[in-house]
Amino acid sequence: MTSLGLKSLWARKVRALLTSFAVFLGVAFVAGSFVLTDTIFAAFDEIFTESLKGTSVVITAENPVEQESGEIPSVSASLLPKVVRTPGVREAAGAIFTPGAFFDAENEKIGNKFQPKFISSTLPGELESLTYVDGHPPRGPTEASLDKAAAEDADLKPGDKIKLIGQGNLETFRLVGLTQLGNASFGGASIAQVTLPVAQRLTHKRGRFDQISVAADDGVSAAALKRRIAKRMPTGVRVETAQENADRASDEIKDALGFLRTFLLVFGFIAVFVGSFLIFNTFSITVAQRISEFGMLRTLGASRPQILTMVMVEAMGVGLLGALLGIAGGFLIAAAINVLFEAIGIDLPTTSLVLETRTVVVALLVGLLVTLVSSLIPALRSTRVPPIAALHSFRPVPTRKRRLVYLALSILLGVAGLGMVLLGLFGSGGASTRAGLMGGGAVAVVFAVSLFSPRLVPPLAALAGWPLERLRHLTGRLARENAERNPSRTAVTAAALMIGVTLVAFVTVFAAGLKSTVAQVVDENFAGGLVIQNTDGFSPIPNGTAKAAEQVPGVELVATIRGAEAKLLEGGQPGSKTKVDAPSPDIGETVNIEWEKGGPETLRNLGDREAIVSNDFADSHGLEPGDRFGLLTQTGARPRFRVAGQFDSKLGVLGSVVVTQAVMARDFDQTQDLTDFVKVEEGADAAQVQELLTKGVELAFPVAEVLNQGELKESREEQINQLVMLVYALLVFAILISLFGIANTLALSIHERTRELGMLRAIGMSRRQVRTMIRYEAVITALIGGILGLILGLIFATLIAQPLKDEGFTLSYPIVSLVVLMVLAGLAGVLAAIIPARRASRLDVLESLQYE
Amino acid sequence: MSANGPVVVATELHRRYGSGDTAVDALDGVSAGFERDRFTAIMGPSGSGKSTLMHILAGLDKPTSGRVELDGVDITRLDDGELTQLRRDKLGFVFQFFNLLPVLTAEENLVLPLSIAGRKPDQQWVDQLIRTVGLEDRRTHRPSELSGGQQQRVAVARALVSKPAVVFADEPTGNLDSKASADVLRLLRGAVDDFDQTVVMVTHDPGAAAHADRLITLQDGKIVSDAAPGSADDVIELQKRFD
Repeated sequence: MTSLGLKSLWARKVRALLTSFAVFLGVAFVAGSFVLTDTIFAAFDEIFTESLKGTSVVITAENPVEQESGEIPSVSASLLPKVVRTPGVREAAGAIFTPGAFFDAENEKIGNKFQPKFISSTLPGELESLTYVDGHPPRGPTEASLDKAAAEDADLKPGDKIKLIGQGNLETFRLVGLTQLGNASFGGASIAQVTLPVAQRLTHKRGRFDQISVAADDGVSAAALKRRIAKRMPTGVRVETAQENADRASDEIKDALGFLRTFLLVFGFIAVFVGSFLIFNTFSITVAQRISEFGMLRTLGASRPQILTMVMVEAMGVGLLGALLGIAGGFLIAAAINVLFEAIGIDLPTTSLVLETRTVVVALLVGLLVTLVSSLIPALRSTRVPPIAALHSFRPVPTRKRRLVYLALSILLGVAGLGMVLLGLFGSGGASTRAGLMGGGAVAVVFAVSLFSPRLVPPLAALAGWPLERLRHLTGRLARENAERNPSRTAVTAAALMIGVTLVAFVTVFAAGLKSTVAQVVDENFAGGLVIQNTDGFSPIPNGTAKAAEQVPGVELVATIRGAEAKLLEGGQPGSKTKVDAPSPDIGETVNIEWEKGGPETLRNLGDREAIVSNDFADSHGLEPGDRFGLLTQTGARPRFRVAGQFDSKLGVLGSVVVTQAVMARDFDQTQDLTDFVKVEEGADAAQVQELLTKGVELAFPVAEVLNQGELKESREEQINQLVMLVYALLVFAILISLFGIANTLALSIHERTRELGMLRAIGMSRRQVRTMIRYEAVITALIGGILGLILGLIFATLIAQPLKDEGFTLSYPIVSLVVLMVLAGLAGVLAAIIPARRASRLDVLESLQYE
Repeated sequence: MSANGPVVVATELHRRYGSGDTAVDALDGVSAGFERDRFTAIMGPSGSGKSTLMHILAGLDKPTSGRVELDGVDITRLDDGELTQLRRDKLGFVFQFFNLLPVLTAEENLVLPLSIAGRKPDQQWVDQLIRTVGLEDRRTHRPSELSGGQQQRVAVARALVSKPAVVFADEPTGNLDSKASADVLRLLRGAVDDFDQTVVMVTHDPGAAAHADRLITLQDGKIVSDAAPGSADDVIELQKRFD
């Protein structure tokens, strides 16, 4: 029976290949997610190892609280002499490696928006890891080098001018060399090198180092040297061997980018899930079409288990083929996703693509399991074919009992799924448990709807087919009738597309809600004012920006906000991360603060040991005015504060805890503004002031940009749009598979209806009419999936918005986008029908009539 | 009954399937004319070429050489679009397997050729046809709710609804019991006698052939007899000579 299964598979190679394609696409996405992330991690490992080539021991500051900005604390330069004097140290040097920005002579930014750019200092001798492919390292205060990739991208050559900015002013240098790090790319990062004093000046780290690199004497092990140095270092300083440092950096990157793998895998499994519908449908249809064959085998003495084996062997063949192709396809997908990321400005480092054994195992398992599980029910159905089916046409009709079982099952699944979603939304528990509950619940609801949807096919087909019937009387009518002919087949086909449409509708509605929320935040907070922020939208802006802005005529005042993350030490739940903001006392002049306890004078009179907290923070940690709490900052300081006031942070610009800017500098070592808010003098022309500000500020500090209310909204909306586009692009795969499912079902149905089509042609139906009829059938199927998906997507979006309402999230339904989505679903049907419709219209009339 | 000259004229039809040693000549020089308002039966043993002849006459297959004129038009030179138009305007078909659309009612199946052509059915004519085939109380039934004989009667009415120049029937009684066969043959006979239709029928049933005005017998791709059929027994006698 195994060999018969394989022969049967071979005899239907085209069909097997089509089914394998669904497995292939899903597996390729899963494999591609692994390949891409493995490759990125491998590239980072290479970068970290390469950059510590000549180094044995690395000395950095402890980083007790990770910052959103990615900034790391520095160590005092006074440590260097102690290190140098340690026995076994051949050479030691301090280095700077701090985020900055680069510009060419025309103030054009070098590198793209999201690309990390670092100002680094040259290192002596073998400690230097950069190699010079052109020119020489910077030697004087006016020289700088740049990595080759960035230089080529910006069309710069040694001798050209280059401008660098760190935390201070923009300074001009002469480009004297081009660098490269081993053979790896910098991971999309860009590095400009200057001499150590220049780097310290640019980054405002006079007397400090980001890192001290140590080379060991011959015969001294890194571990031994590390121990010796560590004994001489004060607390708050971390001493590691180069290997430990590289491993830690690598782990941190994997932690930070771990979400990327999860994110991609989620889309991979969506594709696999959609593919399983296609596999189920294809096997159901082919089993139905081969009933007389199974009957014949039964008359010849085949047992039920033998029939089951035969069908399952076929399924396994399909799954294996799809999985193997999928692993190969994974490489293409990995490359495609990387291109997609680059297109939206996220450059990730890559080396040659990495295929781990784990990827192969997972891909094979996913491919085989999904095929076997999806084909199990059709295979079991094939075993119920009685031998008599060989002799006359036998059509198993679902019994009333089975239909009731399906109904009960769909209701049960639906209720359970909805319950899980609600529990995930409103229940307690960790974020990942809740996300798992919601995801599992959504899957259950999708199953419930697809089990129930055969009952919905006639009314939905009538709804979707109505305009077509009006437009093209007979072909529209026949298309609808054909779609309704086998409701469960149409339902499963439509359900595959439904999944994709559900997600698109959900994302569309949710993004619209986010955008309207953002717009509301902007409108309620900055009426008429101007905002200065980093062009990347999140990094701090250089010191001096606010001072420069104040000089511009028409500016009444410039309020500033500085910020950092800290951990709560005492009072409330210790260890939780908290966003601390330090506004200038006049912040209330430019943005709206909803005071709960206290008022503007509370902020103006705020002391060194006082803080104002948000309602949320006060509630979750049980704090009242007068209570005290302690924070751990990035520098290791442990300041304590007395609660002096309370405000509503909903829709606001301030974080959970507000302290003075003096405290921010003292305990957090943070003196850079995150955002400057400009109040325009009464009577002054805001547009003109903005123009003057743009000229004045952006010339001196090109990393800053001046935005008005509308532009600020746009810049926030653009960030949301980019994410939404990325999600759409990743959902394309799932939708592609469902289109393939429509085409496959159509092709198999047409195959069944060959003689009927021959008859229609014989009594005068034109090829064009046949094509139209098939196309409309596909459109109706697609629209059924579209309508169901739209409804589900709206329900999910509305549900998920409920708990967010407390945080000021407002839901809005983008009617136009949703109508466009339905039109696209219909067009997708047209697309899916192209090949089946063409094949149907080309059928030879005579052959079709004689077809049995 | 008036014989107004041939509506279909076949001239020197050859049809060869395959090539080289395995080539089979299904038709080997067949010429015949089919007069208007007459009921012609085509018989012959299996492989005699009777079906091939009908398929070529109806434009469903193309001859290797020779020509077929239908109402003065050489249909062997028409492309698919012209053939479609021809089938709408000039041809009616009745098949062995009733070939109704399961998703449409009896009446909808009956007027299907008109719907496909985008023409409005003449309701009086449709009503008359439904009365003639005796399905007044089955108009809104679907094919699955009709017996085989009833389905084939719908199929005959469907072939007549566009008042074609010629109706081709391919073993129309091949799948029916004797009572239902008799009904269908009576209908085809009536179509010629009462509605001035032209019917060409391929059959292997001598009883069916006996209803025709003219019986053409084929053997090995050639016409071996062309005469009035006489009674069913006469037909059996005639066929015995060629088996």
